[in-house]
Amino acid sequence: MSLEKVSDIPKLSKNLCERLLRDLEEAKRPVLQAVKCSLDNSEYNPKVGYLTPGAKMVRTELNVASVQKMSRAIFVLEILLRNLETGAVNTKREIYYICKGEVKHDPALKPLDFQDQSESDSVIDFICEMLECYREELNCYANDRGGQTYSNQLVVTETLPDGTKAVVDLSSLGTTPFQPKNRPQSLRLKAKKKIDFCLVVESEGTANTLVANGFCKRHNCILLGAQGVPSNAVRGWCKLISEELSVPIYFFGDLDAYTMQNIYRTLKAGSAASLIRNADYSAPEVRFLGVLPEDIKKFDLSDYPVKESDPTEGRQLKKAADALKNDPFFRDKKNKGVAKLLEWLIKNKRRCEQQSYFMVDPRDPQMPEKIIVEKIKRGEYL
Amino acid sequence: MAKQKITTSSTAEYFSKNLQQVGFSSPTKAVLTTLKEAVDNSLDACEEEGIMPELTVEIKKLGAGTLKNTDLVQISVEDNGPGLNVEDVPSVFGEYLASSKFGRGRCSRGQQGIGISAATTWAQLTTARGAKVITKTAKMRQAAAMTVEVDIKHNKGTIKDKKSVDWDRPHGVSVEFQIDGRIQLGGDGGLVSYLLGTTLVNPHLTLKYRLPDQEWQTIKRVSEVVPEIPEATEPHPHTMKLGEFIAHSHLFGKMSLRSWFKKGFSRITDNTIQEFVKNGLNKKYIDESIDKLNETQFKEVFAAMQKTELMSPSTKSVITIGEEAFSKSVRRLGEVDFFAVVTRKPTICDFKPVAVEVAVARLKTPERSGEEGEQQATVLRFANRVPLQFDKAACAMVNAIETVNWRTYGISQPRDSVPLGPYVIAISLVSPFIKFKNASKETVDASDELVEEIRRALIQAGQRLSRHIKKESREADLEEKLRHIEQFCPILVDCLCRIAKAPAARKKKAAEGLVKLLGRDINQAKEHLEEAVNAAEIAKSKGKFQVIEEEKADVIEATEVEAEMEKEEGKKGKKGDDKKKSKEKGRKGSAKEKVAER
Repeated sequence: MSLEKVSDIPKLSKNLCERLLRDLEEAKRPVLQAVKCSLDNSEYNPKVGYLTPGAKMVRTELNVASVQKMSRAIFVLEILLRNLETGAVNTKREIYYICKGEVKHDPALKPLDFQDQSESDSVIDFICEMLECYREELNCYANDRGGQTYSNQLVVTETLPDGTKAVVDLSSLGTTPFQPKNRPQSLRLKAKKKIDFCLVVESEGTANTLVANGFCKRHNCILLGAQGVPSNAVRGWCKLISEELSVPIYFFGDLDAYTMQNIYRTLKAGSAASLIRNADYSAPEVRFLGVLPEDIKKFDLSDYPVKESDPTEGRQLKKAADALKNDPFFRDKKNKGVAKLLEWLIKNKRRCEQQSYFMVDPRDPQMPEKIIVEKIKRGEYL
Repeated sequence: MAKQKITTSSTAEYFSKNLQQVGFSSPTKAVLTTLKEAVDNSLDACEEEGIMPELTVEIKKLGAGTLKNTDLVQISVEDNGPGLNVEDVPSVFGEYLASSKFGRGRCSRGQQGIGISAATTWAQLTTARGAKVITKTAKMRQAAAMTVEVDIKHNKGTIKDKKSVDWDRPHGVSVEFQIDGRIQLGGDGGLVSYLLGTTLVNPHLTLKYRLPDQEWQTIKRVSEVVPEIPEATEPHPHTMKLGEFIAHSHLFGKMSLRSWFKKGFSRITDNTIQEFVKNGLNKKYIDESIDKLNETQFKEVFAAMQKTELMSPSTKSVITIGEEAFSKSVRRLGEVDFFAVVTRKPTICDFKPVAVEVAVARLKTPERSGEEGEQQATVLRFANRVPLQFDKAACAMVNAIETVNWRTYGISQPRDSVPLGPYVIAISLVSPFIKFKNASKETVDASDELVEEIRRALIQAGQRLSRHIKKESREADLEEKLRHIEQFCPILVDCLCRIAKAPAARKKKAAEGLVKLLGRDINQAKEHLEEAVNAAEIAKSKGKFQVIEEEKADVIEATEVEAEMEKEEGKKGKKGDDKKKSKEKGRKGSAKEKVAER
């Protein structure tokens, strides 16, 4: 995939519109092609370690049925290009309202009106796939969710849009975490002292507890909370840490099918929906620290049966079985360990939460920390 | 075991304590069941004598009831049936299990003779007043009026205040109940639904009715044919149990087994008797008198009979409304847009003859504008031409509706549910032996065979309708495509030109090119529409479905008005014809014309 630089997007867009216009002048049917972003077009390359797009493309031919979609796409593209020109940024929700505002001021645009944000979101996604760019490159950002980071050694330098630089020493923030941005490309990292590891905790709450109990004081590390399924910000941030600091990254989360498929896999190898940006938004070096099935035995942790009768849990099990068959990440022998773990979950139908480490010695608040560090030392991870 | 005195109680005593089992489980149901039982009896009586039924129903609220949260409700039903002899009145209205229809194997509405006596009991229990009956047969000079009560202890009807009265009818029965109840007009279990349903499956019925706070309404008959009730057939041997089999023999007295087989059962011939012998029937018994056979011998005969394969029971005893009459009746449902009716041939389900008829109709609704509303279709269920209004979830008819994939016919449907939209799905099940789930006849047992038979009828109706729905959707599709060209082409070209910074000349050329290439799609859509229209026309001409065209009604009205004007003016004018033509032309504002305009 040849990704052009951010500055080329206006040019790319102009070329695209020019091509469409030329086809129309000749009464030829313009065809737009975009990478098919779905699991059936995902390939896993063990050398790069993330999901890459296959050869399948989605062809959108201009006809009477697609003229609405095409008109909406070009209409939204114009708004996004205007943003790029002025340097303005917006969230998807704001873009939705900007579109509504445009329609309000020009009644001729009424047919384009969006009834729901999901409609404008899908148009934005379509534009990204058409131009093969990230949404962030169109100055459209999602809310900076998750990734609150603590460290006594990390220094972040951010290049601002006006070229000035901001330096943030995380050790000077006290108990305030550093929040990585959706566009980690503008950040540079430096370690004041050698950092031994980076720990990504699935639960933001547990990450905060570990910090409050002095985790970062006792270890030269970076600690961050993923807050569930990692956002682009978390994914890009982990990639940056892995690349710039060359520190091992460990993921600590629940032992269940949802965590393995939706959280860990996305952090490590990206997702099928974001095939075109997995290169920048995945951290293939992340290792799964736990909770592991052997931890349940070793520490006598409380685990729970997965209720197949519960629609959500039942669906997760079905999805897990499907992932073993169809997901190139789990099918690759490089990820044999993770696939085996998924098989274990399907077979045993049990789940165990990350917080269960707190039951090992209920009177010792540092026990989870001790177990985590011990596991890293002994190499008890996947 | 402790010694306790064993007592016996009369049937009336049993039912008076268990009225909930026969439809009197709540004040609302009590009103509906009373009405239903009276109407059923009237219709059965009329049909029995080949009389075109004319029923007058009035329901009044008289005041507060004696029970908590109830009203004193008066329900009166009057018919033009043959009338009852005075001596039969107490048994009909006041005695349980006194029936002229019990176990006859005929498709009558009433079967056991419980319903109307239960209504009298309810009236007696709640208002201490029995049923007021007026009856007159053709032979009577004056009508007889009386009050009937149930002697609960002895299961007997008693007559009070009997007197002769003048009645301006040649014959008929009028019955009036005053009961404690609650009136529910709307909804599945409402009185309106019951009355409309009854007229739907009884096209030959003229019904005049007045509900509380409403004016008199008349629904006229649409068929002049009284359904011919076929003669009952003898029972089929495979539908009997041993006890029944022996009891059946007692009805025939002295008679050889061979003769009894042939007279007392259907589907038994000399050949079949030979088959019985092959399957273990002792030859000696064949010419033996049945009153001499003992229980063991009956058992042997019965076993041989069960082992032998027999022809399925006859379907002759089943009556249907017929597609023609049903079609006319469907129009009485309300403002019907289009509909399809299917009458299946009588068939055998669970060894019982059964006939299924369905009507699927779409109603005209003001909110319908291309898209169907999210409301579930109305389901009307009928068993032996009696509406079933409660417990629909477990009913065979609803199960069958849910198993049909209505989406194939262009009707939206959530998975495994009743379809959505302004549709009415009416299913009429007729059989001399309908298997109800309870004595109050609210739900038909869902056996696999029966569900499949109903399902087939529904599929046929769905297929018939699909042609019309497809035509409609093609029309809408063409409309939408035309609208798209009009709306989006200028916007798309404008935006493209602004981004590409193209001059005005290019803009014009691109707009022309776009309209040209989208025009090709329109031509294709037009072809599809034409195909759909042709297919729909062919289906319509074959009578697969019917469309109620508004134009037709309007034209008739216009013609009538013109005829009157002509009469008045005493001259025939060409003017009127021209006016009519222009009016008709004006109404045909179809998609095709819009295409031409563009």
